[in-house]
Order: sequence, then structure tokens, then C-alpha cells
Amino acid sequence: MNELHTSRTRELVAVLRRELGGAAPLPPPPPVPEIPLPPARIWPTESHRSSYAERTAGHTTALLGVGHCGTRYHTDLVLQFQAELAVAHGAVATELEADWAEKNGLLPLHTRVSSHREFLLRPDLGRRLNDASVERLRAEARKGVDVQPILADGLSAVACMGAGMELLGHFTRACEARGLSVGTPMCAHHARVWLEDEIGEIVGAKVAAILLGERPGLGTGDGLSAYLVYHPKVGNTDGNRNMMSNIHARGIHPNEAANKLAVLARAMIQQQTSGVSLDLRPLLAELGDAVSGKPQAPQARVRLVEVPR
Amino acid sequence: MRGVNLSVSIRGVSWRFQSVKEVLAKANPPKSGDDLAGVSARDPVERVAARAVLAGLTLGELRRSPVIPYEEDELTRVVEDNLDESAFSAIRELTVGQFREWLLSERSTGPLIRAISPGLTPEMVAGVCKLMSNLDLMVAGAKCQVVVRANNTLGLPGRMSSRLQPNHPTDDVLGILYTTREGLSYGCGDAVLGVNPATDTPESTAEILRALHDLRLRNQIPTQHCVLSHVTVQMKALDLACPMDLMFQSFAGSEKGNRAFGISVALMDEAYDKMRRLTTNQGPNFMYFETGQGNALSSEAHHGADQVTMEARCYGFARRYKPFLVNTVVGFIGPEYLENGPQITRAGLEDHFMGKLMGLPMGCDACFTYHASMSQDELESLKVLLCAAGCSYLMSLPVGDDIMLNYQSTSFHDIPSVRRLLSRRPTPEFDAWLNHVGIMKGDNPGERFGDPSVIR
Repeated sequence: MNELHTSRTRELVAVLRRELGGAAPLPPPPPVPEIPLPPARIWPTESHRSSYAERTAGHTTALLGVGHCGTRYHTDLVLQFQAELAVAHGAVATELEADWAEKNGLLPLHTRVSSHREFLLRPDLGRRLNDASVERLRAEARKGVDVQPILADGLSAVACMGAGMELLGHFTRACEARGLSVGTPMCAHHARVWLEDEIGEIVGAKVAAILLGERPGLGTGDGLSAYLVYHPKVGNTDGNRNMMSNIHARGIHPNEAANKLAVLARAMIQQQTSGVSLDLRPLLAELGDAVSGKPQAPQARVRLVEVPR
Repeated sequence: MRGVNLSVSIRGVSWRFQSVKEVLAKANPPKSGDDLAGVSARDPVERVAARAVLAGLTLGELRRSPVIPYEEDELTRVVEDNLDESAFSAIRELTVGQFREWLLSERSTGPLIRAISPGLTPEMVAGVCKLMSNLDLMVAGAKCQVVVRANNTLGLPGRMSSRLQPNHPTDDVLGILYTTREGLSYGCGDAVLGVNPATDTPESTAEILRALHDLRLRNQIPTQHCVLSHVTVQMKALDLACPMDLMFQSFAGSEKGNRAFGISVALMDEAYDKMRRLTTNQGPNFMYFETGQGNALSSEAHHGADQVTMEARCYGFARRYKPFLVNTVVGFIGPEYLENGPQITRAGLEDHFMGKLMGLPMGCDACFTYHASMSQDELESLKVLLCAAGCSYLMSLPVGDDIMLNYQSTSFHDIPSVRRLLSRRPTPEFDAWLNHVGIMKGDNPGERFGDPSVIR
């Protein structure tokens, strides 16, 4: 029975093998075809993009009218996309230079985070100062000020080291011009937004304002955000804060942002509150759309890859 | 708990755990979010020990050990009070290890699994998930077919759908429509045309809904539309008499987590009832939910449980409303919950499997934020894995780039690519429309593929 079964299997395989060509050589590869040169595709330079891309550009920064190769992208688009991705990843991976704060005359502070990876994985540690920084802050920072600005890396040290000093300078002058006293300039490494609570509490500031690199998007790694809170203390939540995002040369210019943030800080001190309970209505004329809760238009998309032809 | 064995020995070293909740957490594969919560196994051996203990627990024992007690949490009560007792009694004596084998066995067909599904609690589903490898999750997930119906029929064999996600940072309606037209021309959008709005008001929700509805009617497209504002905002939008095919809400896995989202069981019951009366959707399924591992921990509402179990509890809540769509936004929440490509991939396959096992039409937003350690290639691979596992739908955006939420997801080009690679088609109704207008020709791109001018 078993032997019969085995021989039947052998026969089946033999028949199948004959059908597939037996031991005969496999067919040779097909002859080399003539491949017509495709028209060079250049995307999306201003002078050469699809009519749909042209038409939609005024309404959205989404990549539309990009065409396709089979069901995939043209090489041009692949490179543009990879360049945008590289900018975003590069911004996240960049660390604040070790002596950057001192070189810029800022009091250097550090959170409880000990490595870049830990910074990404442990937001709780990025919200508190380490012991040395607490001592240094107590010893060296001016106390009892109206506004304590804190420059910080956040999720983009590139943004912090880029327009950070410009924003801090403008903001300080804009506050002083409104008669507000401003605390010691400082810079925090591996910092999350809520760090402003502990710093503001220690220096006894009425308002704490952390200016930090925001989470990069595709092709954008240099945006700063500002979060302001009245009566900073550990335990505040996001509902206690007011924020402004998209601060960079192609979004809200640092100078313009600084003036609006100073308006906001003064209003917090006048109304003795911040966040959802801050009445923004009297400020709308001065603030515009920036902090009124209305969504912000994105920055225009720029072409990152240019190959000379 | 009396009578439950929580100890095991590995190479002569004995391991003892304090609770079923601890066993569930430590049996989890590594996730940064479980480390952040401080509930993960301290090394691979302890992880295996927890899995060995878990494999010996019966499903009945898991039912008696919800990770949040009945008295403290309304989601636990929703599950316990509505469990199908006859389905439960068929599987109550199985251990979790036996349940894994039962799910993978040739004799356990899709319909058979579907029949016991109403007897499963989230803890049982999360438990068996932890004993499965990625390929186990795919093989078992692919068996569970969940067919639902709105203006088209989703989840049939050989089909994979997509949500078209034409988000815009300022809700520019024309910008949204331009993106929608481009996406439709690549065969995307049969699950839903769904916009995350920048402004969470009833008026702007209604405005976007009307524009999408008009586009749908003008072109006779058999699909659904939705604006993913807060459920209370959508309820007010319904009062403005605007067309709404699907109603959306994000879910967390505990009462406390849902409170942070501004919802409760009572509110969702009310929303469901209102939608049933007022929806423009022609089918019996009209709700849309999103979840994602880590969202309970982010509001300190995880009650010491791991993020896979908390995710399964979202599904236990979601099935109450017979949704048309559920998806996990798997990599959106950030590296503090899912650190890298392997963790995001694993979570996508886990969530798909758990949702399907609980009878939900499960899709996945395969995605990453730019501060997570995942490459574009890894993300593309995950889309193929999900489709092979029978995932009901993926997202679709221009070049995968969400210009409002700033993260990377599935692209318009990825959907037809993955479909063709694995021989999938869109929902039959939508497929017929695509062929009629020339966007597709059977399995292949048609003459008007990628040509948005075909949509008026």
C-alpha cells in the first residue's frame, strides 16, 4: 500500500516535470528592446508644473497634480520628498551645542534628561530641572520679575539656535517697552513646555514664557513656538497656557511674534489669569489671528532639490 | 484572586506575579509607553514568565479580572453587562494558550470566530494577542471578516478600502476639495472622505460636510463623508440640518480617559441615537471611531494597565455602536509610546487583530511623527503587512503628508500600489464607479487614473 502510494507520487511529479519542460534549458532572456527616452520631468519648478498643481497652489500646500509612474511617484518627487523628510529628521536629531547658551550670554539650565533618546522617550523628565540647575537658578537669576522668558530646544534645537536669540531679544525689548520687568535671560537644554512652571515658580515670575523649537513637519525644522502661563507653578496644565506657533521667517516673523507675545503677557498680568480663562477679546486688534485660536496658514512649500542641467 | 495560578518556573527559577493586570502588562512585547508607565517586564525572561502564566489562565478567569474594577469604570460595566453569555460559555474553559491555538486552527473559520466574538472581553483579546507573533496576528486577523454597510459595503473578501484625508491647516474648503479630487482619481476614498478640521465649530463642520456632500452627489460617488470634530460639535452641526454620513469620535480605554476626551457612555448613546434619526447615510452602520495605543496614559487614565489592554478596552466600548469604521492611529501619538519602526509595526498588527476579533471593521492609520525612529521604507512595509492581514482600510493623503497635523501616513499612490500587489479591490460599489469613470480598468489603472479633472 505504502509502496504503491510512493510510486504514484513519483509518477505525478514526473508528469508535471515533463509539462514544465523536463531537463531542457530555460528560454533565453528576451532581446534588448529599444527604450524610448521619456521626456524629462521637472517638478515642481514654478515654470514647469502641471496645470492642476498650478491651479491648486493658491489654496493648499498639499502636493497635488504630481502625476504618477505606474502607480508610483516620479523620481523628482521622490527626491523632493526625501529632502523634506531629511530636513525634519535632521532638526529632531540635532542637539543644542554644549556651550551655546554661555556663548550667547544666557544662563544655561538642564533638565533631568540625560540623553537625546531619553529626551524623546521621557517627557516627564524634560519638564523638571536637574538639581544643579535648580541651585544655579536660585543663586544667579533675578527674582520677582513680571516676565521670565526661557529659550529652549524643545523638539528642534535647529530652530532654537536659528531664530531663538532674535525672538528672545525682540520679546525682551517688547516687554520692557510696555513697562514690564524681564528676568535673567536663560536657555534650557532637553526641555519640554511644562518646564516653564518650575522655572517661573523658582524665580517668582508673574508670567513665564518658554520659547522653544516645535515638532518638525515635512520640510520644516526651524519653527519656534511660545507658551505663556500666568502664576507659573508645577501642576499647571495646558488649559492654563496660551500659545503661538509657526514663528519663523516664512511664518510669523520673530519681531511681529514678540510684540504679540508681550501684549499677551501684559494682559495676563492685568487680568491675573491665563489660558482658557484669559479674555482675548480686548486684545484682538493688537493680536490679529496669531493667538486668537484661529488656525494658521502653513508656510509655503519650497523646492529643496535643484540639479543644474 | 482565589484559585488563580500566577507563578511559573523557568530553568528552575520561579517567578510569581501579584495580579492578572501585572501578568498582562509584563507579557507585552517591548513598548516605550509601557516603560513610561512603569508596567513593563524588566527583561526578556520575565516577559516569557508572564506569558507562560498568561497562557495557563482561562478566559473565564480573565473575565473575572478586568484591569479596572466594575465599580470604578463604566467601560468595564458596558462590557460585563452586555456580554453574550452563550458565546462566552462556549469558550470560558479555554486557557489563553488554548485560545491562541483554537484561533489558528484550520477548523476555526471566520464565521466560527465571529460567532464567539460577542462573548469576548477586552482582557481576553489583549491576553491572546500577547501570545502571538506578528505572523500569528496576521493569519488570525485575516480570518476574521467583518462586513459593514453604509452607502457602500466594506470588508468583503478580496477588498481593501481607504479613507481619503484631505486635511487643510485653515479649512480652506476649495483646498479640501482639490485634495479630495486628486485622491479620488487614484481610487482612494471608498471608506470615507474624512476631514480633520482645524476649527472645531458646528458652522465650519457643517460647511465642510456640505461641500463634500455636494461633490459626492455631483459625481454620484458611492461613499460616505465625515468631519472629525468633537462629537458634541457634530451633534450641533446636525441641528444645522447639514448632511452627515458618518459621525466621528476618538475613544480611550477607560472612563477617566474618555472624560479627558470630553465624552461618556451616556453622551455617546445620545449621539448615536441622534445620528440614527438624522444621518444621510443609507446603511445600518454610521459611526466612526479612532483609537491608538498610549492615549489613556497620556491623560494618566491607564490605571496601571499596559497600553495593549487599554487599546482593547476601546474596542469593547466601540462595538456597542456597530460602527462602519474603526481605526487605530498607530504611530501618531509619538515615540514616548511607540518608539520605532518595529514597535509601530507590531502595534498596527496587534490593534488590527484585536479589533477584528471583537467584530469591528478595523482599519489602520499606518503613520509616524517625525520624531519617531521609523523610516519611510518601514512604513511602506507596514502597509503591505496590514493589507495582507486583511485590514479593512488604510488612510490616503497627497504623498502621505498631512499638512495640518504634520505627520507621515499612507499616500494616494500607496493605495493602488498595495491593492494591485495583493490583488485587492475597493468596495464593489466604489469599484464599479471607478471603472465607469475610467479611473480603474479592472485591477489596473484606467485611462483617467491620476487625472483629477475627471471629478467635477
